[in-house]
Amino acid sequence: MKIQRIAILLLLTFGLAQGANAVFVDLQSGSLMGMVHASVGGTFADNHHVSAGVGYVPKLDNHEEMSMVSLRYRYQNPYQFNFSVKEKEYGISPVNFGMGVLVGSHKDLFVELPDKYPSGYYNPTAIRLVFNYQSILHLSKQTEVYFDISVLDVGLISYVREPEFFMDNYDYLGLEGITNWGFGMRHQF
Amino acid sequence: MKNIFFLLFAVLLSGCEYELSPWQTDAHCPGVSVEENLAKLAAFEQSIGKVDFYQVAIIGDPQQYPGSFENTIEHVNTLDDVHFILLVGDLAETGVKAEFEWMCKAMSKSNKPIISVIGNHDSLSFGKDIWLDVFGPYDFAFTYQDSRFVAYNDNKYEFDNVPDRDWLAEQAKPVNGQEWDHVIGVSHIPPWEADVGFDTHLKDSGYELTLHGHESSFDYWQWEDDLLPHYITTQNRDPGFGILNVYPGVLELDDCSRDCEKTIPRTVPKPKSLLLLVEEEEQA
Repeated sequence: MKIQRIAILLLLTFGLAQGANAVFVDLQSGSLMGMVHASVGGTFADNHHVSAGVGYVPKLDNHEEMSMVSLRYRYQNPYQFNFSVKEKEYGISPVNFGMGVLVGSHKDLFVELPDKYPSGYYNPTAIRLVFNYQSILHLSKQTEVYFDISVLDVGLISYVREPEFFMDNYDYLGLEGITNWGFGMRHQF
Repeated sequence: MKNIFFLLFAVLLSGCEYELSPWQTDAHCPGVSVEENLAKLAAFEQSIGKVDFYQVAIIGDPQQYPGSFENTIEHVNTLDDVHFILLVGDLAETGVKAEFEWMCKAMSKSNKPIISVIGNHDSLSFGKDIWLDVFGPYDFAFTYQDSRFVAYNDNKYEFDNVPDRDWLAEQAKPVNGQEWDHVIGVSHIPPWEADVGFDTHLKDSGYELTLHGHESSFDYWQWEDDLLPHYITTQNRDPGFGILNVYPGVLELDDCSRDCEKTIPRTVPKPKSLLLLVEEEEQA
């Protein structure tokens, strides 16, 4: 199964690179994507970014050792404001949104329902949808760092379904209860 | 625009957590463990002494609806005769940390002890680890007002060798010669028809009634061969919960909507024939 996933990921990455306006590599930490998550992607029609990646979390007190793979899409809003610090130019793209499919690899998670269960008993526990917001600081034309806020599938569903619960119990319109943060860096070739 | 952006950035950064993946196990759930809630219940019992009547709220399957669960808990807070809540499993849908934390937030609104039993959905992903850290043991028993409540794990697909029949029989035995007023089993899933002899084993061990969730609607039934009654509460999203009325020597059950304006007494369990059920399954 692992080999199949890696093969699919490599094919996707190769396909992306062939058709993209530009190719980038992305290194992220946190925001549900692993302690480290390395992706390769392409930029299409300027504002649309698609990437495929591999993440990893080592064995920790609060986490089993796990690898994960992802396929992500991000829309980068063209609005950007620029500023200079010590004669060096920077830019900030404040509002960008994306979503991705994250697949965890661990013996306690499953993509296909194990034989012991009746058909349709559970949805796959290894496959999760992650929705995210990014603010990007452009360090140069090729390199940028970003701050990422993500929401897991069940978080979005629960918030939409019962917004009062989250607004009553968590700060910032209840978003505190469903959001996670991370950061990363991208370099474009 | 820049100022707004930096303000938004600061607000969001302070409001959310750095999470490595959806499968972290360090759920923040203060005050919900079985141990803490049994201690609260024991202290309450000591403060009121022996009573002739009390109620137990039975809430099940609140997964995916923490707001509905919170509303139910706040309503149960107003029911003075309810001495504690039995939460009969499936707090989470997919077993991830965030789902448990939302339910814990709702549970923190309760002014009564909540005794929780693990459900099959709680056991998914790394939910088993989260459960042990947050709530404690899968199997446990306690005594309240001379009645014995025995909570057990019967999530057969997710755990091996459950339920533990010997342990269940042991927990129902009198202690120091004291006979129990009632012996009540509590688990997420009603006795499985495939678990041959289990129901009779409970009955023979002295169990008088078992309480469950899992089936997402109210039900009350018994197998014709041993006549041990099983009460199933509805899923909490409806919303609804069950009420167990405990008198010396008598147990009564009510189906209850959230506001309890409409309470349906459950006095006679429906008979079910195990033989008939097997035949129906074979035909299907």
